[in-house]
Amino acid sequence: MEIDVQLVPGPIAETISPHSIGRHGAWLEFRGVVRDEENGERISALEYEAYPEMARREIRRLIEEISARHPCLAAKVVHRVGIIPVGETAIYVGVAAGHRAEAIALLAEFMNKLKQDVPIWKRRALSSVAANVNLQNAGSPQSADLHRRLQKMLSLDEAMSEIQSRCLPLPGVRASLEECHGRVLHETVCALTDAPDGDRSTRDGYAILQDDPLEAFTVVDTLHAADWKPRELKAGQAVRVATGASLPCEHLRVVMQENVERTGDKIRITKHEAASNMRKRGAEIKAGQPLLSAGTRLDAGKLALLASAGCVRPLVNPRLRVVHFTTGDELVPPEQAPKPGQVRDSNSILIRSLLQKYACNLEQVHLPENFELAKSVIGHRPSVFENSDLLLISGGASVGDKDFTRPLLEWLGFEIVFSQVNIRPGRPLIFGQSGARIAFGLPGNPLSHFVCFHLFTATALAKLTGNEPPKFLRSLLAVKLEEAPNPRETLWPARLDAAGLHPLAWASSGDMTCMAETNALIRVPANHSPMATGTEVKFLPTATLLEGS
Amino acid sequence: MRVLFFAQLKDVTGCDAIELAAPALNGEQLWAELQGKFPALAAHRAHVRLARNWEYATPGMMFSADDEIALIPPVSGG
Repeated sequence: MEIDVQLVPGPIAETISPHSIGRHGAWLEFRGVVRDEENGERISALEYEAYPEMARREIRRLIEEISARHPCLAAKVVHRVGIIPVGETAIYVGVAAGHRAEAIALLAEFMNKLKQDVPIWKRRALSSVAANVNLQNAGSPQSADLHRRLQKMLSLDEAMSEIQSRCLPLPGVRASLEECHGRVLHETVCALTDAPDGDRSTRDGYAILQDDPLEAFTVVDTLHAADWKPRELKAGQAVRVATGASLPCEHLRVVMQENVERTGDKIRITKHEAASNMRKRGAEIKAGQPLLSAGTRLDAGKLALLASAGCVRPLVNPRLRVVHFTTGDELVPPEQAPKPGQVRDSNSILIRSLLQKYACNLEQVHLPENFELAKSVIGHRPSVFENSDLLLISGGASVGDKDFTRPLLEWLGFEIVFSQVNIRPGRPLIFGQSGARIAFGLPGNPLSHFVCFHLFTATALAKLTGNEPPKFLRSLLAVKLEEAPNPRETLWPARLDAAGLHPLAWASSGDMTCMAETNALIRVPANHSPMATGTEVKFLPTATLLEGS
Repeated sequence: MRVLFFAQLKDVTGCDAIELAAPALNGEQLWAELQGKFPALAAHRAHVRLARNWEYATPGMMFSADDEIALIPPVSGG
């Protein structure tokens, strides 16, 4: 029996002629064609991988084995590998036999066994977007445009403004003050009452009528700080008051006890003073006056102000629901000693800590760096993902970040808005959107994570919560920034102190010691390095003054 | 001996082949070596077949220094 087996990287010929012309009564041909659907997903190509030596031997062995039972004259099998677009042939089988029955039986059994034993794999399905790019299918104007957009490398400013224009504030919710730290006020809160709500004494002393000309008074009452005993005073009457006490009526002044001589219930002023020693009603805040305006981020002092004004359920941004997928099969938990080739996972705690200043519920899930396994992990806990506002994927290193993160985001229904930013570190940043949901594929190295979070994720978080996006500030270089000109805009890790910015040495985007020192990122425009001491530069603070000191 | 990885096992190990400096091993010992290097392989073991010199390995087969060994995850050709 003649058996011809081929694995080919390109299209399979339209017609293949039988080898045994004259002897066969049946020539049966079968073509397995790539369909536009794989596991319920619309796709535009499949990528096949083979173990070529063994695949060829297995195909030959199977045909020999089957033809012992269903004798045939010749068989030809051609399997294509690599990326195969929808509608094109993945496998061709031609069988020549004396009669059709043997050919049909051999073909049927061969195809079943091929799918069990021949080491050829559908490596991955390419969704419509990804496949157009990978195939460089510049034929149609639509895919050409898509190609341009996906391959386009945005500048830092373009990327920031793209994120700002696509992220909208989530609708506000009312929350108790205990839950509001770090959240952004979505309404302007006004004072309901004057503060103080009446005239109050600022001294221990005696309250008398403002314009009482007398020198001697009768003490008619005593008021402690918490007392509230309104009464009209007459000329010649005084009320003993403590510091902070509410005065019993309007138009009074307070004489300090040091300037008074007391005998029983009588006092006499021994020294006149100009001050009235009181805080007037509404001196701090008048009723109706704005206390905090919409867009204010609530910290301890502001929450105390809201409490004092009785605003106990302000309208604020909802707690963000953030899902963080870590990937990378080389990662082990920090408490575990890494074996050769493994590294401890530092991105999980990095992201968790960076998110701490935002009110959010964070779910962190480690995904196996295999598309099918990853899909099944997500599929087992769909609610985790479906209820999220923000999805972060930390790329792994063992597969190119984009090879994994991008198809995963597309599978999850995200439109990839851009996938590269012309900066370092952090160039392969992926930004995706699905309705109101936002996703970032963060490049795997910790320093890239750090930079991309402060630039891009923080911008999205600010917009989603209704806050002001991060802004670059200006300062001077305390020491020179020594580096050969670089064609890419650089976010240079630095330490800011009273003397200015100190650029830190960073060897690679995986540099962790440098990250631990960093409290600012210097914006070094393309080809602007080196920069002399004293140069004014833009920088982004990455820690508050308290944290950074 | 040279050990090849295919399909999702490339993702698991992060490479497509390694060189194992080992004397003759049986299947159990080979798996122990591989899982020592790539603990994540353990999850796949139940579904992976071993091949030696382009043929599926049979129970009790020994693997020696000159062999080309392959880990074959479930196939999906055609």
